[in-house]
Amino acid sequence: MIIALKALISSLFAGLLQLDNVQAGQFLISRPALVGPALGWLNGCPAEGAKIGLLTELIYLDFIPVGGVVPPCGLVAAAVGVLGFAYGGLPESTAFFFGILAGFLYANLEYRLRVLRSSWIAGIEAQAKDGTLRLERRLAGSLLAESAMTGSYVFIFSWLLALGYGLGLCAGFGALLRASDFAYSLMPWLGLSGLYFRFSTQVYKK
Amino acid sequence: MNDDETIMSIEPDKEQLPDSGLAASRLPLVTVFFRSFMIQAGWNYERLQNLGFAFAITPALRRIYASKEAFNAAVLRHLGLFNTQPYMVGFVLGNVIKMEEGLARAPGNTELEKKLIGVKQALSAGFASIGDRVFWGRLKPITTQFCIVIWFLTGFYGWLFTGDGYRPSALVVFSGPLAGIVVYGTFAVYLRWIGLKKGYACGGLANCGLDAMRWPELIRRLSVTGFAFSLLIVLGAFGLLIVHNLPGESKGHLALKLALVLCVMTLQRVTRKFGRSIFFAMGIIVAVSVAVFTIFNPEKFNIYL
Repeated sequence: MIIALKALISSLFAGLLQLDNVQAGQFLISRPALVGPALGWLNGCPAEGAKIGLLTELIYLDFIPVGGVVPPCGLVAAAVGVLGFAYGGLPESTAFFFGILAGFLYANLEYRLRVLRSSWIAGIEAQAKDGTLRLERRLAGSLLAESAMTGSYVFIFSWLLALGYGLGLCAGFGALLRASDFAYSLMPWLGLSGLYFRFSTQVYKK
Repeated sequence: MNDDETIMSIEPDKEQLPDSGLAASRLPLVTVFFRSFMIQAGWNYERLQNLGFAFAITPALRRIYASKEAFNAAVLRHLGLFNTQPYMVGFVLGNVIKMEEGLARAPGNTELEKKLIGVKQALSAGFASIGDRVFWGRLKPITTQFCIVIWFLTGFYGWLFTGDGYRPSALVVFSGPLAGIVVYGTFAVYLRWIGLKKGYACGGLANCGLDAMRWPELIRRLSVTGFAFSLLIVLGAFGLLIVHNLPGESKGHLALKLALVLCVMTLQRVTRKFGRSIFFAMGIIVAVSVAVFTIFNPEKFNIYL
């Protein structure tokens, strides 16, 4: 019961931080390198949270949110990774990879939310014309919806991971877990090379 | 009303306040500044950041337009399509507020209204391009490098050697990401405010604020800084790998580990060259790992880095 409650509080916290990602502020407090250790600290594993967070950030730096592009969500990836490790019982490496998958899939939900908000425009214009527009309420609703969606997604995905991992253990996935550990040990180098080649391209670009 | 009688006069001359409803108070600009942090609230595919822009500019419009009809029309005008880089929005907001003041003095001037919309679109595109390069393309990755360097200097190498069981203090863990956030956040907030001031000062011009900083120089310096940090971090990581493994490992194993790292870096380079995302390289690494560990089961040789 306490585990479920702590996981729920962590998910809600992730949902709150998600607002900084797009809709409010953009101070970078939603960056995976901070969300990872913060959730890890809340759940008794700050070092693992820091590792998962930074590696997620290094991988996700490859995606830039320009124009209308919805990049994979680093915050969701880090949150699911840490909660999968802390509550799902997954090894750190496996939790990391499922976190990356969760962040990738979340982009689709975010896209749908943005499409949904397009349907508001006609109503908002009509309200603006007759002077009854309360934009604050609309935006507050938008923030609340996004926060709730992120929190729920992180919570549900983490518990599905825990369930799936339990079933996977019964099926004897030992070799896969060792493979996951090995692949995870190469991720820092993949991320660092991404960072290096990004800047070298910028410096040497004619 | 002369040009000095403005919403954001730095030293407003209250005796010369016009009686048209405009006020020489700094307050609306401060409110607009705080509201500009919500520029992406309600982001939608039909009009992008239009709701956030309308929300941010509303306090100024309320001060500029005394009549309800004119205010409603102005709000409606700013519910049109708008998209820029969020940290650069101050430049556009300041400019548009100044132009709205002009429009309030010449009600019904459709030419001026068209010009306002044109300048707003031109500036939003220009600042989006600059902002994406400065913030997303350079400053954000540099803050990640800050985090790595701080963890590196404080002896926390878990981010590089994933099997490392060392547990650093909370201070070390949080100082890395927070250092970058403070630097980044300070610059972003400063630019929002300066943008609003400069945009307001030169409002009405399509190139307004574009010369507020030497952007190409800033972008070039950030690129060089990021590259220098990247190079140092990669060299440091290689050094750590060697030092970490020298005492207990045979030369063959160390060579194997170095070769693995070089293979990963080459893979990243090649996938990037072919326009594939980093997920593609990650997928290959995971697939090869699964194949190796299910077929060969190399349990006796711990080749984890």
